[in-house]
Formats: sequence, structure tokens, C-alpha cells
Amino acid sequence: MTHDDKFKKYIISRWPGNLGEDLIRRVVMKIHGKVLSHYLSCCSPVDKAGYLYRKSERTGSYQKRWFILKGNLLFYQERPGDSSPLGVFVLEGCSVELCDSDEQFAFSVSFSGQGGGTYKLAAENQAAQESWIKALLSASHGFLAMLVRDLERQYKEVISETRGSVPSQQSPLDDKGLTQFLASQNYGPSLCMHGRGPAGRECQSCNAGQLLHVSLISRKSAAKRSPKLWTNKVIHERPVNESVPQIEEWSSGGELPLEDFCTLHELYGKDVKDLLAARQVNSEKDKDVEEEEAADSE
Amino acid sequence: MRFNERELVSLSRQPSERAAELGMRGPKKGDVVKKRLVKLVVNFLFYFRTDEEEPLGALLLEECRVEQEDDQAFSIIFLDEAERKYLFECDSQQQCLEWIECIVKASYEFMRKSLIFYRSEIQRMTGKDPLEQYGISDEARFQIGTIPSIQDT
Repeated sequence: MTHDDKFKKYIISRWPGNLGEDLIRRVVMKIHGKVLSHYLSCCSPVDKAGYLYRKSERTGSYQKRWFILKGNLLFYQERPGDSSPLGVFVLEGCSVELCDSDEQFAFSVSFSGQGGGTYKLAAENQAAQESWIKALLSASHGFLAMLVRDLERQYKEVISETRGSVPSQQSPLDDKGLTQFLASQNYGPSLCMHGRGPAGRECQSCNAGQLLHVSLISRKSAAKRSPKLWTNKVIHERPVNESVPQIEEWSSGGELPLEDFCTLHELYGKDVKDLLAARQVNSEKDKDVEEEEAADSE
Repeated sequence: MRFNERELVSLSRQPSERAAELGMRGPKKGDVVKKRLVKLVVNFLFYFRTDEEEPLGALLLEECRVEQEDDQAFSIIFLDEAERKYLFECDSQQQCLEWIECIVKASYEFMRKSLIFYRSEIQRMTGKDPLEQYGISDEARFQIGTIPSIQDT
């Protein structure tokens, strides 16, 4: 029996049931609270903040807390000015509904999936209740990802329509548009690519905005000079099931033409579709595995 | 900090954007590289001991720096502190680059900014706001450049 197993067994024997299991997770699974606090307090804007009443799981009474929604995380603390939050809800796979309760303007946040729980909250008035429900429903990573995919598709459609009517050299669209825009935003994850060198490292720090450009460049420098070879290499590196779209030749001016950028976007998009399709298959496989394991443990 | 553990563990079990066995080294002095199953789900990087169901930990991939360390390794740095630098060793340069790209693009903030960009470009080119059909045009979180004040609603 491993050290961890002995430890778990001891905990469960002393605190049986959910409490013991929660304790184990609290000790064994690290959440890196400081990282979450930093995300909350750093310069990027919060999405919503206000007082809500939170039903305590232990006592059943409602406690007034200051809630802050940022991204797919719902933090809570005693007061607005507190230095770090008391706790956080990760809002993935949850549904939000009105609910009946002793408290007025109550709503619940319910999680599906194994062990998913329901958390009750209440707002101070109806407008706040509706506003919070709406915000929480659209806070998930999955929802935002869907929006981004949809808008990216629309963007490409508009570009190709525009290109159809305007000669390419007069296209107002900057192929580095997205990367430059992202670079102009000061916060967010940043990427640092190192040059290879024996002594120390030359670090060209760039932020997420330049990611696409940088990763394209790194692939390019790995390949031969000929543009055609480079584009072929990019295509073959990515597992694309469908037939590869034609990429026009481009001059060695160093800039990636808009058409290639769009095509690469399309390739990324196909990858996402493939991943989603694989996910379907895997989730079915996972279910089978889980059922097998459940059967084994009996 | 309290968090909804059960839901987070459940999240770690879901099909991921990317998962692989990588060498992982923690940030503390004396930490060594250990083989871990690393799994990217939404904007969290979960890491497991191989063959264990419950994750050892979860790293939130926001406000962090991703650096390529050498050919096949990358690191994630939080709060710009050396004590919060996690190193990951891959099997190939390509795998390494793919992980870096995935991690940066998984960030909620990265996605938000991409959305704002596409929205403003589409609006500029067509005169229409693509978010109107979703009923979320007014939401502060999708506006360009403004930092909404914290409102007590």
C-alpha cells in the first residue's frame, strides 16, 4: 500500500463519507490559490461584481458575500476591499436556474457530472437576480470558445467576400491584424521564445498577440528556404483529414499573405472539428471504461 | 482558498483539448522532473500521477508566461516569480510547440481578446454587430478597450 493509500484510509476511517473525501481532495489536490487570487486582482477587467447571499452548505443559512465574476471563475469574499477571496467556483458544466427558497430572488447553480452539487445564491432585487443569472449562464469557457469560433468564421467569410471585390494589393485588411491587436492589449498570457545559445539565453519576449506569428516563424525557419516547401511542411505537420486547400505561392518578402493566414486559420478550425469529433468517440470510450472499472471494483 | 472540489475533479476527467505524459518539474528548489499525465481542460492544466484518477493539482492558465526553454521543453511562470515556474519536458520539438500554442490559446483572456478583435473587424467591414444575435452586445466584457468599473448591482 502506498503512503497516499495509507493516508487516505486513515482519513476515511476517522471522517467517513463526503467529509473524508473532501478532506482528501483538499490535501491531495493542489489548487494554487495564489495564482487564482492574482488572476482576480490583476489589471484585466472583471466581468461582474456585487453582493449576493450564499447558502452555506453546513448551516443552511444565507451569508452575504461580495461576489466577483471573472472569466469562468466566480470568486467570493466578505467585502469588496478584501485582499484575497474566501473561495471560488469554477463555472464549467453548470446550469443556472431560478429556484424557490426562503430567500427572495434566489437562484441555483447546478453542476452535472460525477458528484456535481447545487449551490444556492440569492440577489438583492429582481434586476440583479436576472443580471447575475444571465452572466453566469454565459461565463463558461465552452460558450466563449463557441463564440470565438463563430466570429472567426464570419470574419473569414467577410474577408474573402471583400477580397473578391477588391484587388489584393489594396486590401485594407492587415494579415497581422489579429496578432497586432492582441499585442496592443497589455494584459494576458505572454509567450517568450528563446534563441538557442550556449551561454545564457536571448529572450525575445512577446505577448500572446504575437503567438501565431511567432510559431509560424519557428516552423518556417526549421524548413528550407523555398516557400512551397514551407507551406507543405505546415500542412503535413497538422493531421488534416480532408483534402488540403491550394495555397498560392508567395514572395520571400517575409510577410505571410492574407490567403495563407486564412487557410491556416481554416486548418486550425479543422483541427478543432477533428478534436470535437474525437471527443465524442472518447467520451463514449470513457463511459465504457468507467463502467468496466465500476464492474471490476464490485 | 475554498473551491468546488468535486466539480473540478469531475472537470479533470472530461475529454481534454490535449493530454500527454510529460516530464514535469515543480517550482521549489530540489524539485526533480517526474513523469506526469498532463491534461489541458478549458483553461486549467491538470496533472496526475500516471494511472491515477484524481489529479495531483490544477494550474489556472491565466496571467502566466509560457516560455520555450530549449528544443523540447517549455515552462509556465506565474506571478513572474521563479518560485512559481513549472517545467515540462516533451518528446519532440513539435510536441513542445503545440503544447505552448494550446496553452496560450486556452486562456480565457486570450479568447476574449480574439473575440473583441473579430467583433470590431466584422462591425467595421459590414456595419453589423455579430454579437447582436446572441443578445450580448451590451455586455461590458466584450467591449473594446474599456475597463468596466466594478458595479454594485
